[in-house]
Amino acid sequence: MPELYLRLLNRILTPVLLLLALFLLIRGHNLPGGGFIAGLMAASAFQLQILSRGHVIVRRTIGPYLNSSIGLGLALAVLAGITGLLDGSFFQGVWFSLSLPLLGYLKLGTPIIFDLGVFLVVVSFATSYLLGLSRVSATGERLRDDSASPVLSDDSSLDSPDLRVETGRGANS
Amino acid sequence: MALSANLLAVPVAAPLLTAALILLFARWGGRTLIRHQIALTTLALCINLAVAALLFQATAGQGERFVLQLGAWEAPFGITVYGDGLSATLLLLTALVALAVYPFAVATIDYHRARMGFHPLYLFLLTGVNGAFLAGDLFNLYVFFEVLLMASFVLLTVGAQPAQTNSGIRYVVLNLLASTVFLVAAGIAYGTLGTLNMAQIAERLPLASPAVRTVFAGLLLVGFGSKAAIFPLFFWLPASYHTPPPAVTALFGGLLTKVGVYTLFRSFTLFFPELLLTWQPALLTIAGATMLVGALGALAQPGLRRVLSFHIISHVGFMLMGLGVALSGNSLAIGFGLGAAIIYLCHHMIIKTALIMAGGAVELYMGSDRLASIGGLVTRQPLLAFLFFMAAISLAGVPPFSGFVSKLSLLQITLDTRHWFVSGVSIFASLLTMINMMRLWRESFWGDYNRPSRVPSRILQSGARQQLMLTPVAVLVLLSLILGIWGEPALRLSMQVAHQALDRQAYIEAVSPAGYISTPSTKRPIGLSDPVAPNSPAKLPGSTSTTLLVSR
Repeated sequence: MPELYLRLLNRILTPVLLLLALFLLIRGHNLPGGGFIAGLMAASAFQLQILSRGHVIVRRTIGPYLNSSIGLGLALAVLAGITGLLDGSFFQGVWFSLSLPLLGYLKLGTPIIFDLGVFLVVVSFATSYLLGLSRVSATGERLRDDSASPVLSDDSSLDSPDLRVETGRGANS
Repeated sequence: MALSANLLAVPVAAPLLTAALILLFARWGGRTLIRHQIALTTLALCINLAVAALLFQATAGQGERFVLQLGAWEAPFGITVYGDGLSATLLLLTALVALAVYPFAVATIDYHRARMGFHPLYLFLLTGVNGAFLAGDLFNLYVFFEVLLMASFVLLTVGAQPAQTNSGIRYVVLNLLASTVFLVAAGIAYGTLGTLNMAQIAERLPLASPAVRTVFAGLLLVGFGSKAAIFPLFFWLPASYHTPPPAVTALFGGLLTKVGVYTLFRSFTLFFPELLLTWQPALLTIAGATMLVGALGALAQPGLRRVLSFHIISHVGFMLMGLGVALSGNSLAIGFGLGAAIIYLCHHMIIKTALIMAGGAVELYMGSDRLASIGGLVTRQPLLAFLFFMAAISLAGVPPFSGFVSKLSLLQITLDTRHWFVSGVSIFASLLTMINMMRLWRESFWGDYNRPSRVPSRILQSGARQQLMLTPVAVLVLLSLILGIWGEPALRLSMQVAHQALDRQAYIEAVSPAGYISTPSTKRPIGLSDPVAPNSPAKLPGSTSTTLLVSR
């Protein structure tokens, strides 16, 4: 079972990190931020989940969706570029402003969709990478335990870890 | 017919979008899903081919140049996508090779690999290759190099056989080294010239000091050269090409080194055409050594696919020889060498892919590719034997196939410009090619029937599979024949392409209409007025870079 402070930190930090990621994503067009950084931020929230609750739970909940979400992100990014054709050129920004009752108006456009695509790709790629790494470290732990006892384990999960197989298995379970 | 420059985005966007859609729905379904993936991929490949043909017709046929500034941000600030005859020729051939290899891949790739994402990876590789042909600035060229490197690395290792992993590591390490060298060159360009846009680099490079130019050119030659597998830098290729499934080898053999060759062509014609004359001895030496080592090394290889993949190196030498004499000779012959190299490139991409596919079919049928242990296939597979023979003699340069036209034109220009030695070497290398091909033919098709593998081969028994595997080979061989018979129009077309590529002023004007590119260094050309400037690199290019750095 993970440490107490990790569980506490998880409760406090995960919402903060996710909100911060959203903030960075929206602000990223003109100021420092953007899809890539926001994606890393959100991935760090997931990493915190992996550390505090164990990789098995995280893999079961979001593992099956990671590949699809990479595809969704890439498709969104390309579609944002294609939308620019409406304005004459590939990847041209198409903007419209949305007036909100309290906040004034919000300027929305295809660059935000593009950034959202980048965000999805980065967050799902980084999370699946971290899940793979956590699995390697779990395997290493088991190997260390096994080397203490002379019995050789014949576990199939000692094979080289692979993300796609991993998520595929997750989907089956 | 006026085409929109937005078409330039299609060869990159269509495969990328299709791959993304495949990934998006990759969770659901089993074998039916794979069938849908195959259908989608085929659709993307067909769209790619159609657009590439349109672009080729407009650029190479009518001499147009397409420039797409992404998001309508003008040249030095935005991302430039540039397509001229050279790019479009390579796009067309890439689309052709990709579409031709795909049925073969569908027939031979096993379910496990397909489930691991073979089809989206195929499209990602295509995205990277197409993007590299279209990139208008050095950094995006680097990015697309990385895209194709990563996609090809995974394609090499998917399936995780020990030999595959071993070769994959060597492949990726050596290629990353080459990418790093190229990245250093890009950094030098940005640090001294203050830009990464290729047109702007071409405009400013004559103002830079000779030292900067030499270092930049040398680094690009090493970086692109090792992508293209030229003489001392080719070791990644024979180490890796024989381990993946034959379909992947065919795709790699058709596409990967050609990206390096294209970037060599582009950088030497656009950035430093004067070096084609001053570095000519070095370039021709490298070309000769590459031809010779490729052909001799192929002779020493034990396996069918090893011979074919080692032999790619020899062909790269031929193309480099054409580039080396591009600006030599009298005024009529200017560009003839490059045109001959381009037609050689076309011939090579078409016939090498066909040959590797035919060799792969032999290997799949026999269960082994060791030349010493296989033989006698001509009685069992007469059609395959026929196609292999045709492809082999086309590669060796026997008329009326395309190999004859391309080798003859290359030989003609080297003899005209009195490079006796390198032309002698090229004839010798062609002879070695012939010997190689005859060796392959003799060992695998003639003699007593000998099939070393005890495992029964179903792959060529099934009629549908056999058609899927052999039809593309037949189509490519036919194309080679057409290219050989209509050699004169093809040669004229490739001369046009070469002249268009050599016209660097037109490139600069097409990408950046005069007003946009005016920066401190062009308003105040120190390098032209100040005679001391070329010897003090800090003074001249530094003026640009410091202002840019401060303004950031």
